[in-house]
Parts: sequence; C-alpha cells; structure tokens
Amino acid sequence: MIRLTFSLNGRPVRLRTAADKRLVDLLRQDLGLTGTKEACGAGECGACTVLMDGEPRLSCLTLAAQAEGRELTTIEGLAPAGELHPVQRAFVERGAVQCGFCTPGMALSAAALLARNPSPSAQETRQALAGNLCRCTGYQKIVEAIQAAAAALEAEP
Amino acid sequence: MSDHISAGHAPGRTFPRQDAPSKALGAEKYAVDHYGEGLLWAGVKRAGVPHAKLRSVRVEAARREPGVLAVLTAGDVPGPNRQGVVRDDQPVLVEDKIRHCGDGVALVVAESREALARGLAAISLDITELPGVFDPEEALAPGAPLLHEDHPGGNLLLEGRLQKGRGAAALADCPFVAEAVWELPRQEHAYLETENGWARLDESGAIQVIVSTQTPHRDRLEVARALALDPARIHLRAPYCGGAFGGKDGVTVQSLLVLAAMAFPGRPIKMWWSREESMIAGAKRHPARLHYRLGADREGRLKALAARLVYDTGPYDHLGGVVAALGLEHAGGPYRIPHVELLSQAVYTNNPIGGPFRGFGVPQALAGMELTMDLLAGKLGMDPLELRQRNLAGPADASPAGVKLAGVEGLRGCLDALAGHDLWRKRAAWQSQAGPHKRRAVGLSALLHAMGYGPVIPDEARARLVMLADGRFRVYSGVVDMGQGNASTFVQIAAEVLEQPAHCFELRQPDTDEVMSSGSSSASRTTYTYGNAILAAAQILRARILREAAAILGPRVKPGDLRLAPGEAVHPGLDAKVPLRQVAERLSVERREAEYHYVAPTTQEPKAPDQTLALHGFPHAVYSYAAHLAAVEVDELTGKVEVLGYVAVSDCGRVLNAQLLEQQMQGAIIQGLGYALFEDFAAPRGRSLTPDLATYIIPSSLDAPAMENIFLQSKDASSPLGMRGAGEIGINGPLPAIGNAVARACGIAPRRFPLTPERVLTALGQLGDRP
Amino acid sequence: MSRVALPRDLGELWQEMDRAPQAMLYAGGTDLLVRRRSRPQPESPLICLERVEELKRLELRGDQIYLGAGCTHSRLLASDLVRQRLPILARALAVLGSPLVRNMGTLGGNLATASPAGDTLPPLYALGAWVELASPCRVKRLPLCDFILGPGRTALRPGEIILGVAVPVPLQGARHHFEKVGQRAALAISIASLAALIETEASGLVRRAHLAWGSLGPRVVTCPAAEQALEGGGLNRESLSRAARLAREAVSPIDDQRASAAYRRRVAGNLLLRLADPA
Repeated sequence: MIRLTFSLNGRPVRLRTAADKRLVDLLRQDLGLTGTKEACGAGECGACTVLMDGEPRLSCLTLAAQAEGRELTTIEGLAPAGELHPVQRAFVERGAVQCGFCTPGMALSAAALLARNPSPSAQETRQALAGNLCRCTGYQKIVEAIQAAAAALEAEP
Repeated sequence: MSDHISAGHAPGRTFPRQDAPSKALGAEKYAVDHYGEGLLWAGVKRAGVPHAKLRSVRVEAARREPGVLAVLTAGDVPGPNRQGVVRDDQPVLVEDKIRHCGDGVALVVAESREALARGLAAISLDITELPGVFDPEEALAPGAPLLHEDHPGGNLLLEGRLQKGRGAAALADCPFVAEAVWELPRQEHAYLETENGWARLDESGAIQVIVSTQTPHRDRLEVARALALDPARIHLRAPYCGGAFGGKDGVTVQSLLVLAAMAFPGRPIKMWWSREESMIAGAKRHPARLHYRLGADREGRLKALAARLVYDTGPYDHLGGVVAALGLEHAGGPYRIPHVELLSQAVYTNNPIGGPFRGFGVPQALAGMELTMDLLAGKLGMDPLELRQRNLAGPADASPAGVKLAGVEGLRGCLDALAGHDLWRKRAAWQSQAGPHKRRAVGLSALLHAMGYGPVIPDEARARLVMLADGRFRVYSGVVDMGQGNASTFVQIAAEVLEQPAHCFELRQPDTDEVMSSGSSSASRTTYTYGNAILAAAQILRARILREAAAILGPRVKPGDLRLAPGEAVHPGLDAKVPLRQVAERLSVERREAEYHYVAPTTQEPKAPDQTLALHGFPHAVYSYAAHLAAVEVDELTGKVEVLGYVAVSDCGRVLNAQLLEQQMQGAIIQGLGYALFEDFAAPRGRSLTPDLATYIIPSSLDAPAMENIFLQSKDASSPLGMRGAGEIGINGPLPAIGNAVARACGIAPRRFPLTPERVLTALGQLGDRP
Repeated sequence: MSRVALPRDLGELWQEMDRAPQAMLYAGGTDLLVRRRSRPQPESPLICLERVEELKRLELRGDQIYLGAGCTHSRLLASDLVRQRLPILARALAVLGSPLVRNMGTLGGNLATASPAGDTLPPLYALGAWVELASPCRVKRLPLCDFILGPGRTALRPGEIILGVAVPVPLQGARHHFEKVGQRAALAISIASLAALIETEASGLVRRAHLAWGSLGPRVVTCPAAEQALEGGGLNRESLSRAARLAREAVSPIDDQRASAAYRRRVAGNLLLRLADPA
C-alpha cells in the first residue's frame, strides 16, 4: 500500500491504496465516482477517459501510483456542482446522449479539444473523438453538439 | 386520435430527453454502478471448448485460493437448471455436455476481483472432446453430431416454409433470373456496458436484483424456473442500460447472480463480465447463408422468387426460431411477386450463440433480397431504382410472404424522395469526379420492418401514471430504456396530454415491484405499445383532474369548460384557476393513479401455415418503411471502401420527437455500416478469433459519414398515437445499399460480407479468381 | 500487489533498476498494462518511466533531430520540429491508435514493443534513424534496423533503457509519404503500411528513394532493389510498377484474421503506385 496525494475535481485527496490498482477501479469502487465507465479494460474504447493535468487519458491503463501529484478531472468535476459544462449542455440539447455510457468519456475528450482548439472543424472534432467509441449515436449528433458548444464558448464574453 | 396529444405543439417537436442531463453529468446509476459494503464478486468459468463431454470440474484448488468463498457447479443448482424463452435448452451451469466455448461450467464467489480471477484460473476441467458442427448446412446432413439429443428436429431448431403460386417452378419461365448465395457475418452487439448485475438475499427472503436487461419481468420468471424459486421472491430492477440492442433480451448474469446471492445471505454480490467474456458468452446476430433466385419478365416485372435462408443459431434456442420466422416474413421484401417459395431455417451448431440483435433476422433477409434485386437489375439492364418502383407492392397486394403491407404507399414516397435527391440524380457527375485510383458508385435498398410480437403472444402494455400529492406527476416506465429514449417519450406523451412542462414529471425505470409486465424492450414496440398505453392512462387522469377542478369551481362549471395549463386547471370564460395541488388534495390516492392495459393490433392474415410459425410470430400487422442510399468510394490499390454520403428516407408514421427518431436512425445506420464493412465475429470451428474490441472492429468517429435523414409521416390508422416502430428498420438498409454500391464500383458483386479491403480487392480482380 | 516506482530522473531510475532488476519498465502503459490484463503477474515490480526528465528531450542537434524515448506520440505530433522537418513521421503518428493512446504511448514504447505493426517504425527506417541506449555506465547508438531483431525482440540488454532516437534531418524538398492500411480509420492495427522518403533532383528525377514497409514481415521490410528501380528516373506508372513487383518479392507477410498473406503481398506493391499521384 502507498500513500497518494493528488487533486481530484479541484479538491486535494490523500488516501492509501495499492500502487498497482487501476485508476478506474480507484475512482469507481473506492471513491464512488462511477461516472467514469469501463467498457473494455484495454484502451480500445475510451469509456474510462479522465483528464490528467488537463489531458485526456485512459484510466483503465493508468495505475493509481501515477496519479501522485497530478490534477485529475472526472466527469463529475467537469463543471462546478449543479452546473453543466458547455459541452455537457450541448450534448443534452443536441441529442448527443443515447445510452450514455460513452458520454462521460466523450464529454471529457471534447472539453479537452475545445480547451486546445476553440473552433475545431467537423473533421478535427471527429479526429479528437477517434478513441472514444460510441455504439448508439453514429457520432453525428456528438460532432454537432461539440461544434455548438464551441460556438457557445466563443460567444461568451 | 387524441385531441390533446399535440395540442399547441408542432408534431415532432423536440422534447428534452429526460435522461440526458444525468448521463452527461456522469450521475446516472446504471446497474454496473452498484457496489456496496461487504461486496462479493461472482464470476463464471467458461468451457473454452466448443463440444465436449464434461466429466468433472476440478474445484479444489480454486476453493483453496485465499479470498475465494465458494465454487458452485451444476450440482449446486437447486432447480431444473434450464433457461430459455421458447425452448428452455440452456443450462445455467453445464451438467455433462459442453455445447460452445462460452458455456459456463462453474460459478466462483470471492471477496475481491483479484481473488475471483485467481479462483477462476485455478479451476480445471476433465472433459472428452466431441466432434462438433460448425456449419449450419453440414449440421443438417444425416449423421452430423447432435447438439441436443432430445430435440425431435435434430439440429434443425425451426424451419418455416411459405409458398405462393407455382413457387420456384415459375423461375423456369423467366427470361431473366438472378441467382446468388450471400454470406453474412456474425455481428456482435458491442454495447459499451457489458452484461452485469447486482444481487442480495434479504433477511425477509426477498432477493434484490439490479441488472442490465431488456426483459425484467420475463427474467424473473426464467430465473425462478431455472432455480426452482417462487418468482415473487425476486425483486428485479432494470435501470437504464448502457446499450443492449437485443443482446440483453433474455437472461445473461441473472440466474448466476441469484445463485450466488442465495449462497451468501445478506451480502451484496456483483457480477460484471469482462469485454472478453461478453464476447465469448454473449449472443450475436445470426450468421446467415442466403440462397436467392429471382426471376423477371422482359419488362422487368418480378415473376418468381425462390429463397432459402439458413441462420446459424449456435447451441441454444435463445429466440433463434423467432429470428428465423421474422426473416421468413421479410425474405421477399416489399414487392409484388406472384410465384414465391421461401424456406427459413434456424440450425443448431457449436458456434457462439445466435440471438436477438436489432433487426432480428430481417437485416439478413432484406440483404439477400436487395442485393439480388441489383443483380437482376444488371441482367435486365435496368435502373435499380426503377426496378424497385415498378415492382413495389400496392395497398391491395400482399407481400411475397402473403402479408398485407399496410401503409406500403409510404415506401413509394421514400423511393420517390430518393429519386429526386441530388445524390441520386447527379450521381453520374459525382462518380466521374473520383480521384486517381478511386472508383465511386451509388447504391440503394428498399426496406420494411414489422413491429411487435405477431398473432399469438399478446403484445401488450400496462401503463401506470400517478398524480402526486403536490400536483406533479410520476410516470412509471414498464419497458426498459436501453438508450433509445423511450422512457423520455412516455413522459412526453403524458406531458402533452396533461399539458404540463417536463419538470412536473418524475420518471421511474422498470421495477417488478412497481409495475406489471409490459413485455420486452424489443421488436420496435416500446413507444408504440407502452406509448399508446400511457396515452390512454394520461387521458383518464386528465378527465379526472378536469372533473375535480370543475367541482371545485362550482356546480355550473363543466369539465369541458376547462383546460389545463402548467400547474393549474383554467376556466378561460370565468378567468378562474384551480392549482393542480388543490385538485390532488381532493383526489383519493386511488383516483390519482391511472393504469391502462393496451394490446397492440394483430393480424391473422395470412393464416400461418402451421401453428409453430404463428407461435414464432408470423405474421405482423404493422410495418414501417424506408429507402436508403449509400455513396461510396473504393480504393483500387487497397480495396478500402469509404462511405462518403448516406441518405435515408423513412416512413414510421407520425413523428413524436424528431430528435429521438433521428438518434435511432443515425445509430442504426452506423451499426449497419459496421455490419457491411468491418464487423465479423469470426469463430472458425467455434473458437473466436476476435475476442475483444481490438480485433472485433466497430466504426469509430472517423468511419461514420455525415448522414441525411428524411422522414415522411404517413398517417397510421392502427393506433391513436399514429406512429409505428422505428428502432430497427434503419439497420436493414446499409449492408445492401453499400453492397450494391460496391458491386457497381467493382463491376462484380462480392458475395461475402463484411466487405473487407481484401474482399473488395478480390472483386477488383487483383487477387486471383474473382468470386 | 506490485510495487510501482516513478523515478524522476536517470539517477533515480538506475537506483530503482538496481533495487529490482526483475522489474518491468513501462512508459505509457498502452502495451504492458494491456498484456498484464490477460497474464496477471501480480507480484512483479513495475517502473513507470513517464516522469524521467532526460527521456523527454525533443530538439534539433546539428543535422539531427533528437526525439527522447519518453516523448508521447501526441507531443511529437504537436511539435513544429516533427511536423515541419519529419512529415513522414508525423503522418504515421497521426494514424497511430487514437488520441487517447497517443496521449499516453511513447516513441520509446513503440520501439521496445517491436511489433511488426508498430506505426512509427517504417518512417524511422526510411529516415535512417539511430537508437540511443543507455545503461548506468554508458550510452551507445545503433541503427534502428540493428535494434529491432524480430517480433517483440530487440537488442535491448538487461539493465539498458532506450534513451531516444536520433533522426538525420532529410533534405529540404524531399517527398514524405506514409500510408497505412488498417481495418478502420482509427484504433487500427496496421495490415500493411509504406513509408517512402523520396529525394529528387531539380529535374524531378529521383536521386534517392528510401522505402520501408510495416506489417509485411517479422521486421520492417526494406527493399534496395525497389529503391534502385526508382532512382535515376521519374515516379511514373512504369517505374513504380517495376518497383512494386520487386517489393512483392521482398516481403514475407503472414495470414491472420485481419488479412491474408496474399492480400498483404499485393498491397505491398500497390501502395507504391500511389506515388504516381500528385503529392
């Protein structure tokens, strides 16, 4: 067991855990943050995406020890409590959510894209999502939602 | 038609999806998100061989593993140990015969996932391998090894035959005959939330189960039967599924979970199949071999069709017979053909389990028909769209299966819309703009899809709607929302009748303690069947509210003078208002609750040739229609196919919610695109070559084209809602539309799907003999 | 339960390796942690290289570009140096895995895994890259083609790590070409790939052609005969078809569930024909 200190959704966390526990298990089972999903365990689907220092990353292929000193953001922390991030709002309004199991990972990948590229083209958007598989939507409304979120963010003062 | 259903709203307006915010926030609790204090993990040892005598399961080493609490085998199953909806031929745990690699042979319960993994690894099997059958046609040959020695049909699970006119004999009179054998792959659902559930045996003896399923009430009966339990002890809740598409139509983890829970009273038990386990143990879309012969006269009028559809159902029924029957009903498409002979067979093999998957046997059947239509168009030298338009059945005709196609005029509208679309009209110019080493072509398909259960099994729903004490409402969903948004539509329907905004509604997901059975979330039926039931329940409640509000306003006020507005009943003439809270206070609990039992229409026309076929759902009364167009580019150097444009014109009756309908179509089309181009759960000799999502390929965001969806809205007279099923029809179109486009680009039609680059390069003549 | 060490520099890394010589090293985890899933080795210690500062260099050194082994694919792809001077590598990186895999996986990891389908290998072969290896007592360089020995096998010795890759900067104006055939547009394991670096004379004639194929043999395949068939002439249908025939003879592909050997062989040549198209 090791002692870990990191920032989780803006709050400092100190805990003891097995060093080689997968980050997705630490989040879901130990910390109760079940918004992070797991669907393949092998980096092929992106359902377990979290942001580590702002960068999307697969929590099924990250070990707990690697979180030391990092800033982690899960879907629960993408927006302040009680609010929706512009990407989440656009997903809701534009019909980008169906079964919803890919949605947390998609939303985090999308938020990271917009942080880096405020007005991505449709093709750039599709490229940024290429590691997040969705089986329900056919992706079209997800792409449209992200472009709408980009426009909404641009319009903000 | 209700007066209130669309009062004040444009039809097809967008009503907010009730589940979207919680899902986008990561707050929605799926079955898989349940853990709990003192959690135990349960898991299954899989056989790993396709056909064998199981002599014994060596469990001692596993029992010695630290953290392993129990290892159970078939002998520990208290009941008949049989599951299945039509034929109960699947054991919970194998007794003495292994029939496919994914069969469960032992159940391990452990204190942690790590201990569970060690326990499962420590189990070994004492087996004698048996010769297997891996090709459904070989399985029908005399002397083939049998899957179920007790099945009177041998390896033939079910076959259905239909004949019209002179049948296949009429082909001899046709100057033009197209003939082909098409091979379609085994498609994996690949929902992101793999099979899982949570269970706990309470002190009261009740067994709490939360499971990712499409069929909560039926599961309860199946589990109870398999384990010899009183079904009333099982309290089953079915939260939103993280995808299902038919793969959770029937038990997956349920009996195993309950078995584990019974062994550890009071402890929460979790079972969560890994992706690899889901792949090997879960059901798949039936691979199919489709033998088609289609004949026409010199004017391009279809005269004769002979088709044989062979579905590989794997080792267990798992609704495979129903799949084959629905395929039979759709095998001749929506055309007028005087002489028809159809045979559809579901055959046992030692391959992975074939089962329900969006489309339910129809994607295979329509692929056979629509691909053969283009072959015939080629022989006739006729435009493929014109061939379809010329032969489309009219309202007075019956389909090749003999079924009256109510609303088939809508399909003519769909084909006409494609005919006028730029991608079709200007295809010659578009094709000529292909770059170096590229070929372009456009292909299409004409589709129909039946809704519901057919003539024998009642397609019914029992909707429940409650006015709360504070004047708000609670909608109980009786059919699972696996992602399609039906639960939200139930709220929408109630909201429109009661003229209340969405936030005045609570929504409950199916719970066997709270709602009666309303059937499965399948067969494109949920919005139709439960929707019509909730519509009627809302109308009942509305009438009571208005009556009570009128009484509050005095003896001279009639309910008909009032209308509803957000939070109140209003008398426009008197300028008087009654808050709904006040109405609720005056209504008894019973009067605030409305239930309605709705039964969807059925037809006995034509009468099934035998009762077995009728029991398996033949025929249906309500159909939806669509026509699809795919514009593809083929790379001559690699054989890669790219879909650059896609148009789907659908007629599913009245559009209740345009956004949700578009979601269904877009998702189905891209699943269908995967089926056409990538997806093949390859399992030669019963052993999977594609055990995970790295090897089983589903479309990514970069493989999916932007799609155009157009909806025609023919009036549907079969129900008050005026809509028809829409969840499945979209998946029927891409494989034949893309297949026809690729065939046109290559000059020859590849017979095997998916259209991998290798198969396309072969069609281009670069790899030896062309097919 | 495994110990996981996260050394911050080479000094700490050598200490950790000294302490646990049997430890398994990983950087992004996109290969090792996937393999560990099917073959759990619960007790074996792990060393994660993601924080080792010396592995993150990315710089121009004279006529070479130095790419630290710990650079993630995303970082390389975002770097102007790579995009402008090594477009052939950038194109391969752009179709490697997915953005998530590229955010985690590293160049060193791609080399150490030594998969015949490793996407960065063909461009690095075509570029004539050198691999720099380090142990506590010395640093050595060897050509990439001598480093990769076979599927999953490299010249890395116990106690050694990959420090980085040194890439000779190609001539200005050289044509950089990369194409990969996979089962889909992203998250695809290569069925066949071709990296081609073509230096031309002012006249347009080919001075030097560097060709390297992925997934067409146990290691990256090169074919001097095909290169010679292009050198001294133009890139036209005739010369490319000649080179394509030679390439098909040079490759030694396998059958697997993704594609047959016959398909791979055919496509090995076909991919060259694309060079006739305008770049």
